[in-house]
Amino acid sequence: MADPIEPPLAAKSGAGIYFDGVTSARRDVIVELAPGGLQVSGGDGRALTTWSYDEIEGLAAPDNILRLGRRGSAALERLEIRDPDFAAAIDARAEYVDRTGSLERRQRLSVIRWSVGATVSLLVVAWFGVPAIATRVTPLLPTGIELKLGDAVNMQVRAMLDTRKKGAAFDCGTAAPEIPGRAALDKLVRRLEAAAALPLALRTNVVRRTEANALALPGGQLYVFEGLIAKAENADEVAGVIAHEIGHVAHRDGTRAVLEGGGLSFLFGMLLGDFVGGGAVVFAAKTVLQSSYTREAESAADAYATDLLNKTGGDAHSLANILGRIGGATEPGMKILLNHPETKARVAAINNATAINARSPFLDTGEWTALKKICAGP
Amino acid sequence: MRFLGQRRSYWRLLIRGAVLLMVTLGIYRFWLATDVRRFLWSNTEIAGETLEYTGTALELLLGFLVALALLIPVYAGFFLAALDLGILGKLSGVVGFAALGVLGQYAIYRARRYRLTRTIYRGLRFHQEGSAWGFAFRAILWWVVTALTFGLAYPFQLASLERYKMRHTFYGDLGGRFEASAFVLLLRRFPMWLLLFAPLAVAVSGFGGTVDWKALADTLAQGGDDVMGKIEGGNPGLGGTIVFAMLMTGTRIGFAALLYPAFQAVILRWWSSGLRFGDIEMQSRLRMRNVYGAYARFFGYALLFSIVMGIAGMIAVTLAGAAANFGKADTAGQIAATLLLVAGYVVTALGYSTIYRATVLLSLWQLGMESLQLSGLSALEKVKATGRPSSALGEGLADALNVGSY
Repeated sequence: MADPIEPPLAAKSGAGIYFDGVTSARRDVIVELAPGGLQVSGGDGRALTTWSYDEIEGLAAPDNILRLGRRGSAALERLEIRDPDFAAAIDARAEYVDRTGSLERRQRLSVIRWSVGATVSLLVVAWFGVPAIATRVTPLLPTGIELKLGDAVNMQVRAMLDTRKKGAAFDCGTAAPEIPGRAALDKLVRRLEAAAALPLALRTNVVRRTEANALALPGGQLYVFEGLIAKAENADEVAGVIAHEIGHVAHRDGTRAVLEGGGLSFLFGMLLGDFVGGGAVVFAAKTVLQSSYTREAESAADAYATDLLNKTGGDAHSLANILGRIGGATEPGMKILLNHPETKARVAAINNATAINARSPFLDTGEWTALKKICAGP
Repeated sequence: MRFLGQRRSYWRLLIRGAVLLMVTLGIYRFWLATDVRRFLWSNTEIAGETLEYTGTALELLLGFLVALALLIPVYAGFFLAALDLGILGKLSGVVGFAALGVLGQYAIYRARRYRLTRTIYRGLRFHQEGSAWGFAFRAILWWVVTALTFGLAYPFQLASLERYKMRHTFYGDLGGRFEASAFVLLLRRFPMWLLLFAPLAVAVSGFGGTVDWKALADTLAQGGDDVMGKIEGGNPGLGGTIVFAMLMTGTRIGFAALLYPAFQAVILRWWSSGLRFGDIEMQSRLRMRNVYGAYARFFGYALLFSIVMGIAGMIAVTLAGAAANFGKADTAGQIAATLLLVAGYVVTALGYSTIYRATVLLSLWQLGMESLQLSGLSALEKVKATGRPSSALGEGLADALNVGSY
């Protein structure tokens, strides 16, 4: 740093240690502050080299040593000054010697400013950019890819839902007393699926979870929880919830959530150094499980479900009814079906859109009783 | 050899770094790594002269970006292959694991080259020759051998890889060698190895003695309901054996934790006593109890930090509870709680890692250096300069693959 006031002692020369960068020999030298630069001469008084002040730079060294080099020099010439007063005198003359560290602090501050800026821009990309990209890419995805994505996510979701590691027994409707219930479910889903005309085949499973919930994965895999069947008062309510989930499949909401989750984990994994490929799938599966879809996606699925129920001669009021009943009672972190602050508005919207049509119930009384026992066990 | 650094300055450097890491989501790590190396190098004095680190954070950042550009297509390929559930998908995990293992070792060797060529002593730089791929394949082969021999081959692995590294390491034109004997390390390490593997062996032989293997195989082949019950009936002593095996595993983990500092001390002492540059020889007088002291300091600070974090957590929970009672827990409240949880996790993780660096890692560096005795230093008078600085790609790869150090 250039100091306008000459150092009072004005030490014009001092002792130093010099390495010429060609051999490792250590030489005790006399250093003089000549007008043209630092003049280095050996103990015998012979001049060794002269460094002009603007090419001298300070280098990393312990606190009590000033280590100097020449900027842009291929050889690693080094000059070490141990006398603090003489070091200060050199510091005052050479621009790129920065013993107080103020130059470095300024550079460091600009680094911090830039990286905080980068962090903010990253968060903006994560918050707006990634969802926007996912929304645009999702409709372009071929069904084959969606199915594969769904299979990968399905394994993760099952592992996360099946906390007691029951494996195949986690699914209801396989043991002998449960089979009539399974048949009733199939009948119900077939009627909805025929009207929906999706580009892919639905796979619907009832699983042993006590929450009143249901979820749709990419590729048409639906999970209805045992708790939802228990809370339902008639077959049309179950049909309503499944129609809502079919809405998510038709709108590819699950696929979009997976793309979003994968994109986010890739983005942050890159910066934070976590580069596990499988991590993206896990993260995406968690996104599907834990975070809700947006209000728009839920309303769109409701509208789709109402329309589907109207078409098939179902009663869309029943979706509104079960929604209103279990709306506030879902487990925290399990809000795929319901996003409770808006439940009332959603119930009203469904009721408004319900058509007066020729209705026929989805299941007769016997079938409904069977469906209620789909998780009865062997 | 002397170490001149003040612990206090190092703590300040690390704490400031940890705060900035948090604020910048980790981008600051290149600057922190450079600061740490500058501090450690500058304060290490060999024969009256200190080392100098000339690397810059910008080089590290650039190396990381280049590494990312190389790795992103590789990762994208593995990700797509993993989605394919056929034979390709199953293979992609194994192939990916092996490929990343080799790449990690490659990165370690290249990163070592970067660090060496940025290390200046008495106006000359160190440098490293040799093939990074050659090193990577050697290292992977040795890991396989070590795994197959339950760790008995580990001393030979260390010695062989270290010989490879050191015979390609130069200070100016002064070539390095590694002369420590693997047998010596094997003998010194053998008691520890025995303590770790005896419980395992006892547990396994316990199974061999009590279990009627043929009956077990028959039972499993029959299958049907209640396989465990049948196994239990056929082998009356099995329950006890399983409990015994669990106890032995617990003992083993306990031993491993207690012995780890001793293990580190033995390796460090053996390794640094084997380093040679021309006529310069090194002899380490590292004491094991000093290494244990470093770990004791770590646990002291960690305990203190845990108490502080615990109190802070309790206050946060109480406040959150009060807020929930006062108003309604809406979406904004949930988001705030999640953010607080994430922040708490990050602070805790960074806190422990900072304490570990400032206690154990700094002490190991300091003890390792100060316990060294050098002979044949007259060779230092006439070394000639050779070697050129290398790129930071290896450092970037090591960073992206999480195999970096210092």
